Amino acid sequence: MIDVPTYAFVGVSAILFAIGLFGVITNTNGIRLLISIELILNGANLNFVAFSAHHADPAGLVYTLFSIAIAAAEAAVGLAIFINLFRYKQTVNVTSVKTMRW
Amino acid sequence: MASFFLEQAWLIPLLPILAALIITFVGHKLPQGGASLLIAAIVGSLAMSVGAFGQVVQGGEPFQRSWEWLSTGSHTIDMGFLVDNLSSFMALLVSLLVLLIVIYSWGYMGEEGKGRRRYYAEVGLFAGGMLGTVLADNFLLMFLFWEIMGLCSYLLIGYWFRRPSAAAASLKAFLVTRVGDVMLLVGIVILFVHFGTFDYREIFEAVKDPAAQDTMPLLFAALMIFGGAVGKSAQFPLHAWLPDAMEGPTTVSALIHAATMVKAGVFLVARSFPVFVHTPDVFTVVAVIGGFTAFYAATMALVMYDIKRVLAYSTLSQLGYMFLGLGAGGLILVKTGSPIGYVAALFHLMNHAFFKAGLFLGAGSVGHAFHHAANPYDFRQMGGLHRKMPVTSWVMLICSVSIAGIPPLAGFWSKDEILAAANTAGGSEPILMVLWGLAVLTAFMTAFYMFRMWFSTFAGEPRSEMAEHAHESPKVMLWPISILAFFALFSGLFFFVPFGGFGGFEPYMAHDLESYTPGFIEVHAFHASEFLVHLFTSPLTWLSIAVAAAGVALAWAMYVKGSVSPERMKTRFSALHNGATRRWYLNDLTVGTGRFVGVVGGALSALIDRYVIDGIVNGLARGTTWAGGHMRTWQTGVVTTYAATVIVSVSIVLILLQYVFPFLGW
Repeated sequence: MIDVPTYAFVGVSAILFAIGLFGVITNTNGIRLLISIELILNGANLNFVAFSAHHADPAGLVYTLFSIAIAAAEAAVGLAIFINLFRYKQTVNVTSVKTMRW
Repeated sequence: MASFFLEQAWLIPLLPILAALIITFVGHKLPQGGASLLIAAIVGSLAMSVGAFGQVVQGGEPFQRSWEWLSTGSHTIDMGFLVDNLSSFMALLVSLLVLLIVIYSWGYMGEEGKGRRRYYAEVGLFAGGMLGTVLADNFLLMFLFWEIMGLCSYLLIGYWFRRPSAAAASLKAFLVTRVGDVMLLVGIVILFVHFGTFDYREIFEAVKDPAAQDTMPLLFAALMIFGGAVGKSAQFPLHAWLPDAMEGPTTVSALIHAATMVKAGVFLVARSFPVFVHTPDVFTVVAVIGGFTAFYAATMALVMYDIKRVLAYSTLSQLGYMFLGLGAGGLILVKTGSPIGYVAALFHLMNHAFFKAGLFLGAGSVGHAFHHAANPYDFRQMGGLHRKMPVTSWVMLICSVSIAGIPPLAGFWSKDEILAAANTAGGSEPILMVLWGLAVLTAFMTAFYMFRMWFSTFAGEPRSEMAEHAHESPKVMLWPISILAFFALFSGLFFFVPFGGFGGFEPYMAHDLESYTPGFIEVHAFHASEFLVHLFTSPLTWLSIAVAAAGVALAWAMYVKGSVSPERMKTRFSALHNGATRRWYLNDLTVGTGRFVGVVGGALSALIDRYVIDGIVNGLARGTTWAGGHMRTWQTGVVTTYAATVIVSVSIVLILLQYVFPFLGW
């Protein structure tokens, strides 16, 4: 079994997080935003698991399970919102919904 | 063994207060708006007072009975009553006068309708307040009743509160006496701080400690207590309210502003005598204020055309005499141990109560006949009433002779005693000699203005249609004033009545000082014949009789015979006449000052309110609106902007926490 060092996991997780962050800031398409958020969450989950293994502490695994469950719920709610948004506006571009401002 | 009357003396003030309470609630269902019930209560008080007086007059120790009132850890404050020679005498005098005046009110207020309930309730409360003031055994309880009197005075002056002048007068009386009341409270609290008690007898005992005597705090406390007396008794410079208080019903003027409440100040100084003797400087102040007020008020009484105003200034002047007597008496007491001034002042208090109540009620009877006039008390519209209203006229004449100080009527004896006391004290204090001179002048003016009033009202020919058709008042009003006239004739002779074991008025009154300040006083046995011989061989007595006679003669020459024209006197002394008419501009000064402070202060506070307070409030609002107008543009509504803001902010916080703060060493 190849012994992968912990920093490799941390590095991959950081790259995932950064890609997700970049996606959240630059995209206006709602579906892409959801995907980017998933990337951020997965980056964080990977980080949890990596450190859990490194410290031989199962707490990180438990948190990851919770995180995945919450992410699933979030994705469901988010998709539902965008489906409704599409019905009204025929678009999922978030800059088209600017009614919640001054 | 103390008798029923002493043990239950607390009923004396309580009966009228209970009557007042009942009248407040069901007075409209009682005959005459509750007058009958109040008369019954006062008769009860009078009976109790007579009983208590009958016990006290037999001699012995003062009787005190008290209950625990407040307990505040280190101090226990009691409430109770003290029946001694002074308080039983005052209670007797007050309940007698209240009874006569309430009976008179039956007729005088008969046409007032529903308002009578309020009148009788307030008079009842007042009577309880006055009786409580004289019977209380400590300063705090006395102050409580004192304030009840102040309240009733305010309510009764403003009895016709729909009349603006009455409402203003009641407010003025309340505010001016308040100045004195605050001083009194300060004085009482100083005594409490020093002696740890409010109780009269404990304070009188504690003040005997040489360490407590002649100290600044004691002098200050005494001056403050005297300040309270000045306010209540309307002495200079807190006198302005009393002439205005004539706006109330005449019965109220007679009861509160002549016979009883204004005497509370004199009573208070007499009651505090055992404290004052340990800081004698205060007596000089008492004498100066009293002597000056006597003179100053008399000058104004000379020029008034309103019977009640003449009587009001006369009251100020006579109260000034009493304070002069107390002040001079205190100086004499400290120097020689003789109580003559103290006794003279209290004797004058009694005599004045009778003849001044008689005069006021007589004036009320005249006003009753003129109640359709614009001012029912203006005697320029009267004249010749002696034939129309014989009883009133005789009563007023007797009382006027009495107050003028012509023997053997009541006023002569006490006024002459006060003049003698001032003269005696003047032997050692030059200022008292000046005051004696003023007092002799005042005696002349008193005789003059009383007879100016009497001649203008009752002598000569009627000067108006109304005076032609004036009628005598009903009997229920004439009986009380006849009784008062009887006392005005003969109460001077009480000086010679051998009260129980005391042998005369002087030893009777001086007995309290013997109990409270032994060693200070030497009371000699009173021998009427010696006293009379001494009195009528003294040139001072003849001087006082002569000035009184001269005053009457001048009034006769001016207003009956017409050999001296009042008009020519007026133009000759126009500056003096105008000054006196305008109350020596002092009233204008106080009212003007008040108005100036009101107008300028009001304008100033309006400016501050408009520009400073409103400026701050409006500025805050405007600033918030402006800031909100700019800051709300940050809310773009675009989700990604929010996300970017959150990310950047979190990054900044993390950088700060991780690098900047450790670097700075926080």
